[in-house]
Amino acid sequence: MKIRYFAWLKNITNTDSEEFNEPSIRDVDSLKIFLCNKYPKLDPYINKEKIVRIAINLEYTTTNDKLSFSDEVALFPPVSGG
Amino acid sequence: MIKIQKEDFNLENEISFIKSQHSNIGAVSTFVGYVRNINDKKNVTSIDLEVYPEMAEKSLLEICDQAKKNWKLIDILVIHRFGALNVNQKIVLVATFAIHRHDSMAACNYIMDYLKQDAPFWKKEYYDNDYKWLQNTTKTI
Repeated sequence: MKIRYFAWLKNITNTDSEEFNEPSIRDVDSLKIFLCNKYPKLDPYINKEKIVRIAINLEYTTTNDKLSFSDEVALFPPVSGG
Repeated sequence: MIKIQKEDFNLENEISFIKSQHSNIGAVSTFVGYVRNINDKKNVTSIDLEVYPEMAEKSLLEICDQAKKNWKLIDILVIHRFGALNVNQKIVLVATFAIHRHDSMAACNYIMDYLKQDAPFWKKEYYDNDYKWLQNTTKTI
């Protein structure tokens, strides 16, 4: 699956997108665990402050949705448009 | 109509184009957002606006669809710019077209509120020797 990062999250991941085909990533919660292991600096924003918003295929999600290899998942901080 | 673009826009031309397609418009309400020179007591020199374009378009279309359900609207135009912008430059336009002003004004406000809350844009604000990623709060929404 394709993971995209926006705004200052890119400073932590050093990339704006990457592809994973890890069988362990089955849903949003397992993706969060995978990403926090890969990027420990993401952990406080995902799990403590809980400010990272997640979108699957361009739709916000706040639940532990199932993921498939064809999904595009985006992680981003609070928005500031307008 | 949703436009996500780097280029500046001309308010009068944008309104005139949509007006020319309908003869029953009696009210047009517009909101234009600009880059201002002071934020949080700091001198702003410029901003950089990042966007998730595919999701921004979808999100804005959904907000506009909901506005059309809530009020009697003839048309809606939203333009949101991205990229490097200087102080005094335009960031966003929301224009709502209706028969009567109540519908156009209420819908314009509604669209801006939800745009600031949900549309995936991010402002990186530059100061004299520093920068900061902004975050819309209930105060700024």
